Amino acid sequence: MIPPPEPEAAGFSSFRARLLVAMMVLVSAVAGAGLLFAQRSMAASVRRDFRTQFQGELAALHAVQDVRHAVLAERCRALARRPRIHAALEDGALDLLYPSARDELVDAMDGGAAAPEPGAYALHARYYRFLDGKGRVITPPNAKDVGELGSGEESQLSLGALPDSPQTGYITRGQGSAEAVDEVIAMPIVSSENGEVISAIVLGFKPPDLGGAREGAGIMSGIWLGGRLSMPSLPPGAREGLAGEAARAIASADSAEGGYEVGAGGARYLLFCKRLNPGSLFPAAFEVSIYPLADLLARQRLLIWQFSGAAALLLLGAFAASHLLSGRLSRPVERLAVDSEENRSQRYRAEAALESTSRELQRSARFSADASHQLKTPVTVLRAGLEELLAGEYVSAEAREEVSALVHQTFRLAGVIEDLLLLSRMDAGRLQIQFSRLDLAPLIEAWVDDLGALPDALGLRVDADFPPSLWITGEKRYATLILQNLLENARKYNRAGGRIRIAAREEGDWAVLAIGNTGLPVPPEAQEHIFERFHRGAVGENVPGHGIGLNLARELARLHGGDLRLARSDGEWTEFEVRFRLARPDVAGGSA
Amino acid sequence: MIPPSLNRLAALAAALALPAAALAQAAAEGRVQLLKALHAPVMNKRYGIVAFGGVLSPFPPVAVVYLEGAFPRTDSPATAQMAQKDLMFVPTLLAVQVGTRVEFPNLDDTYHNIFSYSPAKRFDLGRYRSDERPIPSELFDVAGLVTLRCDIHEHMRALILVLDTPHFVVSDTQGRYRLDGLPAGRYVLKAWLDSKTTLDRQVSLQSGSTLHADFP
Repeated sequence: MIPPPEPEAAGFSSFRARLLVAMMVLVSAVAGAGLLFAQRSMAASVRRDFRTQFQGELAALHAVQDVRHAVLAERCRALARRPRIHAALEDGALDLLYPSARDELVDAMDGGAAAPEPGAYALHARYYRFLDGKGRVITPPNAKDVGELGSGEESQLSLGALPDSPQTGYITRGQGSAEAVDEVIAMPIVSSENGEVISAIVLGFKPPDLGGAREGAGIMSGIWLGGRLSMPSLPPGAREGLAGEAARAIASADSAEGGYEVGAGGARYLLFCKRLNPGSLFPAAFEVSIYPLADLLARQRLLIWQFSGAAALLLLGAFAASHLLSGRLSRPVERLAVDSEENRSQRYRAEAALESTSRELQRSARFSADASHQLKTPVTVLRAGLEELLAGEYVSAEAREEVSALVHQTFRLAGVIEDLLLLSRMDAGRLQIQFSRLDLAPLIEAWVDDLGALPDALGLRVDADFPPSLWITGEKRYATLILQNLLENARKYNRAGGRIRIAAREEGDWAVLAIGNTGLPVPPEAQEHIFERFHRGAVGENVPGHGIGLNLARELARLHGGDLRLARSDGEWTEFEVRFRLARPDVAGGSA
Repeated sequence: MIPPSLNRLAALAAALALPAAALAQAAAEGRVQLLKALHAPVMNKRYGIVAFGGVLSPFPPVAVVYLEGAFPRTDSPATAQMAQKDLMFVPTLLAVQVGTRVEFPNLDDTYHNIFSYSPAKRFDLGRYRSDERPIPSELFDVAGLVTLRCDIHEHMRALILVLDTPHFVVSDTQGRYRLDGLPAGRYVLKAWLDSKTTLDRQVSLQSGSTLHADFP
């Protein structure tokens, strides 16, 4: 027998654990991806906000600068139109040029005085010079009146030629720590006589103080000029590093505005560069604005911590949820597994029982066959001995009758043995019908003749109603056996003076043979058992029989593709009906 | 009566002698081919001086015709006027003899500030209104062309041609001129057309006759 497998308790728990792990992995992955994405987008949005804020502040500063610059330019333009200056230039009075300008500029100059308060003198010029027809500085007669400049500084005011339009430039003044950058505006002076540019006035201004007052926070601006960065509010160490970064930024995005993140002096900054004097004849100068990123980095760190906390909480919740969920999900599956395990063991048991039953059956069939063979020989020997005894002369007349009865009994014994042999062959599945065309009519006639020849104690009347020939497909030997069984029963179980009726007819594809008698009825509760093997009805013990006949007849009829059934059994009439397949007339084959 | 001074006497003598002298003196008349008025901006057309290509010229074009020579100076200081009216100088071109005092009355309701940086005369009258008395004036004692400007109204422009001769006249807009009371003799007659153009020709003046001289 196959041992039924043990139910796997470990398997259930591992299923649950696997489900839990899978759900946790899934939840972690989804939550992690979602949080990562959210964090990224949040960080990007913070950075964008930051940059927008920076650009907004910068734009506001630039707007202020633009207004200031427009005011300065307008001031210069008004100066360049002054009749005295024109008169000095056009009427050949260059000696009066600077004195006239001094009178005109008396309220536009800061006089070199320190600003009494921050922001004062923001629109005041520190110095001014005129350029001659070749763009060179006209040396003033008295430098004190026009703002003193060193010769190197003054030479920075010269242009290669007179400009057609106002030019903005930047020059460096002073040395070392006092170094500063001044903003200069060169305004062309157009002759009223010939419409040509005859000179230019260059005014120098202190550049606007951009965010320098707010130390450590907000925008810091400086001016990058000729490779040097002037940003007084930045420590010198950081300035060096930043100058390099600014140079790189300017080189990579020449004169365009761009935002870069740079490190200088141990801090991170957002850096923007903007050409201050696009298209100017003066050397290119860039405004370098930096915005400390410390605030942004702190906000990002806070964001990361917040997201990490949220992620931990979320994962914790998700793990708890997946634990609950996996438990709930795995319960029906586990129940199913238990059920199927029970089913499996039941099936194993049934299969084992079936197998053993099958083996028993085979053994018993083999035994029956063996037994039949073993029994047939002694019965034959016995009959031969008895017949020899009958043929002898030393047997008395009484004894002869006894012996004759014994011979008859050996025939019965042989018949039973034959039936058993047949049954055992059928049970073992070794019986095969050799189908051929077969006429039932002669068989019935032969039996009716035989019945007439028997010594009849019952005085039975036989009615036969069948066509002259009834062709079926079957094997003559077994078909005869079926008929003999049924007719023998009809005779055997009949009452004295009773009646037997044999009727045959064709019904569709079938040949139907009904054999009725006037025997005792089969009780209704026994009707379903009469075809079982070794069943004997509640008939007298004197009636010969061994409970094999009907069973054998039905098995054989079914092997022929037909059937045998009890058609009727009541107070006066019991009728069996057997049907065979009709042989088609065109089917070749002679009767055996 | 107080005995007259020597000057007075001399002036009296000159005044008495003038009618007879006029009869005896020569005259010149003719026509100056004026320059075409080119590119006169609307604004400058109104104010009478066209500045173009570095050249200042009167608009509409007129010429100043004068006789060059060594003439005795009159001791009596001559005066002339150049007013400011409707934000322009009237006249815009003034010819005066050296030593003439020119008055600049302000006939507008606003301030004017007349000044000149020209080499022939540098001056600055400062700001004043129409009620300024005495009328601000300036003595022009060097011959040459003087460009006048107003410091307040940058477009205002006028020319004063200071000539070292008493014999000059401004032509009409057709260029016609007539000079009377000229001394007989050989002289150079000049026609000033603009700040860069002065034509001249030799003339021989006969007493009692009128010379016809056209430019060119």
